[in-house]
Amino acid sequence: MSTAASPAAPAATTNPPVQSSVEEPLDLVRLSLDENIYVKLRGDRELRGKLHAFDQHLNMVLGDVEENVTHVDLNPETQEEIVRTTSRKVDMLFVRGDGVILVSPPAKAV
Amino acid sequence: MLFYSFFKTLVGQAVTVELKNDLSVTGTLVSVDQFLNIKLDNIRVDNESENPHMMSVKNCFIRGSVVRYVHLPPAAIDTALLQDAARREIQPSTAAVRGA
Amino acid sequence: MSALEEFVNKQVLVITTEGRVILGNLKGFDQTTNVVLTDSSERIFSEDEGVESIALGLYFIRGDSIATVGLVDPEKDASIQLAAIHAKPIPEIVH
Repeated sequence: MSTAASPAAPAATTNPPVQSSVEEPLDLVRLSLDENIYVKLRGDRELRGKLHAFDQHLNMVLGDVEENVTHVDLNPETQEEIVRTTSRKVDMLFVRGDGVILVSPPAKAV
Repeated sequence: MLFYSFFKTLVGQAVTVELKNDLSVTGTLVSVDQFLNIKLDNIRVDNESENPHMMSVKNCFIRGSVVRYVHLPPAAIDTALLQDAARREIQPSTAAVRGA
Repeated sequence: MSALEEFVNKQVLVITTEGRVILGNLKGFDQTTNVVLTDSSERIFSEDEGVESIALGLYFIRGDSIATVGLVDPEKDASIQLAAIHAKPIPEIVH
């Protein structure tokens, strides 16, 4: 909401406001500040939460986070793959950027 | 520099650092450096009975590169201020690239 | 400034990215967390036996392979009955 180009702004034909333009990948992340996002991490981890801060490494601070971790165990007898997901909630979380695989803006963060 | 400055504001707070070896260490944040190396005091390793390896350690340096998450005390964080800082942080570098 | 300064000439417990536990006297370090330990020894944890200690002597550990460096409380450490401790080794760091 807050990140959309303001309709009240004068017809932005030549100089679109820098704030809302998307010219490089990190701009997409900037537009997601104060929005819920989906983050896929190394080690089969997924986060959903509100983006409060990030930097060029994709270090982030997320609020009201839900983390889902997918574990794949192998049944030693049947060789069957047993997939289970563990979920937990964290109020406020710093995420180190080196584990980030993808960040998706609100639309997909259902 | 954003998160370096951010963590400096959290010195004295209780945080839980979750490492990429699945250990979680809770303690009082003592210091942080530019690599986001973290120092904790009065540490407690979660699930100590299964993880007695650091029983005799109270004060601990954690290399930034092995950190997965830091669980933060929500009350100590001004999210509006943080978002503003993040917008400011990312603007100059991108503007410089566009201007090139 | 540097966080390891106050550990110099003290007993430290290093956990490596491979999950090794190495104790020693911290003699030196640098910006990249390379460390030099004297009179070092490794503690090997296992579920089946008590902790085994192996002397390593003078040891250099490259910063990249360090997870944590902890200051050892000598009294607390002396009170630990290592032979009675059964625990899984620490998992390796997975980046």
